[in-house]
Amino acid sequence: MSSAAKPSLTLDSDAARRPRRLGASGVLEVAGLYAALILVLIETLYPLLWVLFGSLKTKEEMLSNIWGPPSSLVLQNYVDAWRIAGMGSRIVSSVLVTGSALIILVVVATPCAYALARLRFPGRGLVLAVAVAAMLVPPQVMAIPLFMVARDLGLINNRLGVAFVYAATSLPLSVFILRSFFVTLPADLEDAARVDGASRLEILIHIMLPLVRPGVALIVIFGFIEIWNDFFLAFLLLRDPSVQTIPLGLVSFFQQYDSLWTLYFAALTITTLPVIVVFLAMQRQFIAGLTAGAVKG
Amino acid sequence: MTTRSQEPTAPRSDPWRFLAGDGAVAFLMILPAAILFCLFYLWPFVNGFWLSLHNWDGFSDPTWAGFSNYTRLAHDRIFLGALRNNLIFVVAVVILKNMLGLGLALLLDRALVGRAFFRAAAFVPVTMSFVAVGLLWSWIYNPVFGLLNGALDLFGLGGLKQSWLGDADIALYSIIVVDVWKWLGFHAVIYLAGLQTIPSELYESAKMDGAGPLQRFRHVTIPMMMPIVFINTILGLSGAFVRNFDIVYVLTKGGPNHATEVVLTYMMSKAFQDGAMSYAAAIGYVLFLIVGLASVGLLAMMRRQRLDI
Repeated sequence: MSSAAKPSLTLDSDAARRPRRLGASGVLEVAGLYAALILVLIETLYPLLWVLFGSLKTKEEMLSNIWGPPSSLVLQNYVDAWRIAGMGSRIVSSVLVTGSALIILVVVATPCAYALARLRFPGRGLVLAVAVAAMLVPPQVMAIPLFMVARDLGLINNRLGVAFVYAATSLPLSVFILRSFFVTLPADLEDAARVDGASRLEILIHIMLPLVRPGVALIVIFGFIEIWNDFFLAFLLLRDPSVQTIPLGLVSFFQQYDSLWTLYFAALTITTLPVIVVFLAMQRQFIAGLTAGAVKG
Repeated sequence: MTTRSQEPTAPRSDPWRFLAGDGAVAFLMILPAAILFCLFYLWPFVNGFWLSLHNWDGFSDPTWAGFSNYTRLAHDRIFLGALRNNLIFVVAVVILKNMLGLGLALLLDRALVGRAFFRAAAFVPVTMSFVAVGLLWSWIYNPVFGLLNGALDLFGLGGLKQSWLGDADIALYSIIVVDVWKWLGFHAVIYLAGLQTIPSELYESAKMDGAGPLQRFRHVTIPMMMPIVFINTILGLSGAFVRNFDIVYVLTKGGPNHATEVVLTYMMSKAFQDGAMSYAAAIGYVLFLIVGLASVGLLAMMRRQRLDI
C-alpha cells in the first residue's frame, strides 16, 4: 500500500500548500493546480479531437498535417464511411439488441428485486445469496458453455436471443441495485394500499414503481453502456455480418480497409460522438449509473 | 416487517386470493428472473465444468477425459504465458488506476471553479466502447503517423520512438496504458465522492495539532479512504481479469508471438480456431477460480478492515 500511495502524496503536497498562505504563493498554487488539470484535459480529450479532425481531412492532409485542425471539411468521408462500413444496418442491430435487452432486464429484474426487498418468504436468503455470488462470476469465464447453450437453443445470430443473454448477464447487479431502492421505501404506503384491497402486483406497478424510478434509471444507463459497447459477447454469439452490432462492424471495417484512415476516423466519430453527446447532456445520471455498482455494492 | 398473512382478508371475494399469500406472489415475481438466470448463467456455469471434464470439438460425441484438460493446461507454455501476462495486467492496472485515480480526485476536489467540467471531461473515455478506445489507440501507437511518436519528435525525444504494439517487450505495457486511460475517470469519480464524505473538522483539528499537508494526507485522508480504496480495488480487479479481451483483440490479437496473450484471448482462439471446446472451457474454469478466489479474499480482507476501523 505504501508504494501505491507515494505519487499521490506528492500530488497532495503540491496542492495542499494553497490554504497555508495567501498572496503570490497562493496564486502559484492555483496556477499549478489548473495546469495539472489542463494536462489531464489534453490527455483525455485531445485524442478524441484528433479523431474528429482526422475524419474531416483528405488522406494526404492526414500525413502532412498530423496535429492540427483540417484545412477544409471533407464531409464525403462520412458518406463513404457510412456506406462502406454498412453503418445503417449496424446501428439498427445495436438499437434492436440493446433496446430489447433493456426492456427484458427491467421487466424481469423489477418484480424480483421487489420480492426480495418487501416480501417475506422461505428461501429469500438463498435467492439473495445466489445473486451476490453470481456477481463474482463474470459471464466472460463461461463464454464457451454459453456459446454451446445459445447454439442448442438456436440463438446464434439471433438478435433477440442475444438480448436475452445480455439481460441475464446484467441481471444479478441490477436486482441488487433495485432491491436497495425498494428497501428504503416506507412500509406505510404499501400497508395502506393493502388495506384497500390492492394486490401485490398492483402495489408494485402503481405505487412502488414510480418511487423507484431513479433506481430503474440507474440500471438502464448502466445496462445501456455495457450492452451498447460490448464486443465480447456479440463477437461470440453474432457471427453473421448481417446481424452484427456497431463494435463488431467497426472492428471488421478496420481489419478490411485499414488503409482508409480518414474514413476510419469518420466511422469512429459516427459511433462515438452520439454516446458522448448523450453523456454530456445527462452527466449526473450517467456518472451515478456507471458508479452505481460501487456505491450500492 | 411487511408480512400481513394473518390480517383479515379484504371484503371483496377475489378468485386470485390464493396468490395473496406472500410465498406464492414472491414465487411468481422471482420466476422470470430465475428462468433467465438458470438458462444463461447457472446452466452454462455447470455445463462448463462438465465440458471441461470431457474431450469435445463441439460436434462429434464427447468422450470422458477426467481432469486431463487441466493437467494439460499446467504444462501449456502459451497458457502459462497468458496467465502471467494477465496477472501483470491486473496488478499494473489496479495499482495505476488507484494511484492516478486518487491523484486526479485530489486535484478535482481542490478545483473550486470548473470542477464539474473537468470531472465530465475525465469521465468521457469511460462511456466509450473498448473497441472505439482500442482502435483510437492503435492510431495513436501507429509507428508511421501515430500521435505518440509524433509527440516524441515534437519534443526532440525522437530517440524514444518505439513500435509500441509491435515490440514484444513493451506491447503489453502499451495495452495497460490504454486500459488505465479508459478507466481513470471512473475511479477518480469514486474517489472524489469518497473525499467529499471526509468531515473537514478532521483536517482542521489535525492542523491545530500541527500536522503538515503530508501528515494530514497520511493520517486523515488515507485512513478515511480505506473503504473506497477497497471498492476501487475490487472493481478494478474483477474488471481487469475478464474485461481485457476486447482491448487486446483490437490492439494486438495477443501478438506479437503471444507477447500480449491474456487468458481470454487464448481461450477464444483455442475454441474457435482450434475447435478445442472442452480445453477452452477448462481455461474459462481456471480463470473463474482465480477471479473468485481473488474477490473472496479481498472481500474477507475488507470485512476485517472495516471491523478494525
